[in-house]
Amino acid sequence: MSFFEMRHVIVQFGGLCAVCDFSIALSAGQLVGLIGPNGAGKTTVFNTITGFITPDEGDIFWQGENIRAYPAHRVTASGIARTFQNIRLFADMTVLENVMVSFHYSIQSDFLHAMVGSPKYRRVEAEIREKSRRYLYELGLGHLSSEKAATLAYGQQRRLEIARALATGPKLLLLDEPAAGMNPIETIELAALIRLIRDKYGVTVFLIEHDMKFVMGLCERIKVLDYGKSIAEGTPTEIQKDIKVIKAYLGSGYYAAG
Amino acid sequence: MSSDFQEQSGAVQVRGGLTHRQKTLLNVAALLCCLGILALFSRYGSEYHVRILNNMAIFITLAVSYNLVNGVCGILHLGPNAFVAIGAYTSALLTLSPSEKQINFIINDLIWPLSIVQVPFALSLVAAGIMAALFAFIISFPVFRVRGDYLAIVTFGFGEVVRVLCNAAQSITNGPLGLKNLEPYTNLWWSWGIAILTIVSITKLINSSYGRAMKAIREDETAARAMGIDPFRQLLLAFLISAFFSGIAGGLLAHLITTISPTLFMFTLTFNLLIIIVVGGLGSTTGAVIGAILFAWGGEALRIVENPMDIGIITIPGIPGMRMVVFSLILMLVIIFAGHGIFGRNEFSWEMLARICLRGGKRVGSP
Repeated sequence: MSFFEMRHVIVQFGGLCAVCDFSIALSAGQLVGLIGPNGAGKTTVFNTITGFITPDEGDIFWQGENIRAYPAHRVTASGIARTFQNIRLFADMTVLENVMVSFHYSIQSDFLHAMVGSPKYRRVEAEIREKSRRYLYELGLGHLSSEKAATLAYGQQRRLEIARALATGPKLLLLDEPAAGMNPIETIELAALIRLIRDKYGVTVFLIEHDMKFVMGLCERIKVLDYGKSIAEGTPTEIQKDIKVIKAYLGSGYYAAG
Repeated sequence: MSSDFQEQSGAVQVRGGLTHRQKTLLNVAALLCCLGILALFSRYGSEYHVRILNNMAIFITLAVSYNLVNGVCGILHLGPNAFVAIGAYTSALLTLSPSEKQINFIINDLIWPLSIVQVPFALSLVAAGIMAALFAFIISFPVFRVRGDYLAIVTFGFGEVVRVLCNAAQSITNGPLGLKNLEPYTNLWWSWGIAILTIVSITKLINSSYGRAMKAIREDETAARAMGIDPFRQLLLAFLISAFFSGIAGGLLAHLITTISPTLFMFTLTFNLLIIIVVGGLGSTTGAVIGAILFAWGGEALRIVENPMDIGIITIPGIPGMRMVVFSLILMLVIIFAGHGIFGRNEFSWEMLARICLRGGKRVGSP
């Protein structure tokens, strides 16, 4: 049984086949990239894994369970966390509160304790606060904890999204274009951060990215998607030489001419 | 790493000013102060003032619990009048004596178990809260299938359904005739006791993990789901708590005015509550309290504009309804000059009060 596996997943939007017969298997601790031209269906794959879309056909196995019909919150509770392509922070809440939200699903205290502010609840709250602070310091956001999330710089907002996803305690972390809009230095820092997260927390990372230098440098394996179909899979060097991938990115004419 | 972070958080606490213990002391002092004022009013206050204060407390209870759904969860719910109506009728039917019920119900007889029961006021309030919450639970399934404008329409619909039912279910509610001769149980202690209980427990809830989850849904429901939050459960919780306290407030209202009829629970009630929380600042409990105080007190204070006035040479005759014109003018001014309400999403805190006082002090002291 594999760590994580998608088997023959099909997602259709009306007549359009957004994801057609997509299969992938990830093993624990890997750093895997998902690339493909715009509109290839990469984000749809992520949405399907995280329960925002239920696939029309196919199964998703996660640690021995078929999670294809799980709602989003249950997928997260089972140990898969994600970030979003267009940053989705809780803008009007502080940086610390943004991370603290991630602990809510696992809270061991009912609302009546919270309403009377019982000692038991206060302990839970203090624990959540301390753990959240740890994640923020880990990602270099500790000094910003009482700022509103909306006031952070772009790169910091991306980091906060990662911190928030990590705080849910995932075993599989999905990053949707984590380097989008970052400058070259920030991108290098981000790659180091993602490696650190993988090594320190032992999470498997599956990421979508358009920055080829970033993906080739960071990922151990890469999957290429085009028009909802998987066209190649392999190590970065294999992918760079793959004829189908070059065709998908540059058009068949380029290959013929070259 | 860990010790470093401990030190830093410690430093922040010292700079922040007050410790947890100091804040608790100040809170207790403020509470005692409130109780003192209430004691003074209940002994020496005129009936008119006591009446305004009772109204104020009931509106505070309603506004704070309404704000939990509308302000904190960001759900435009337009049916709190249904909760208030259910609470009022439940509590009234439970406290009326069997003989009074017989006098009240002249057209249709009251159905059996209700016609003979009579329970103490406190118990009837609890029942009022539970009945309102039960109703909220039943309607929550259709309501939370939709969001935004659609949710507003659905809740508005349920609000109207309850009012119409109050009119039509004559053998329970006595129809348009309403219920009369309720015992005036509601006094300052009851109304303000419930108001303070509501403020304290809802504030604690908002500041807890549950409140954070609700705010997260307001800010971005998709992201909240990705963080493992089940929106339905959180919204349901807010809805039930809101309904519970609104139901209790309904019971208090019934025993304050001693006569209830379906016209009391029309959409105007919801509309007034909406004005209160918008003017106070959506999402701010402090704002809801201030809004309710201004509404209950302002409504009475503005009666002077309905009296005939002499301004120099012009004499303005007393125009009934003038109060509402002035009231809406004030409302427009608040919205123009404070777009997010008086308090925005901020809350009262002792630090904030200290800052304001210190700043004021400096200004006075400086030459």
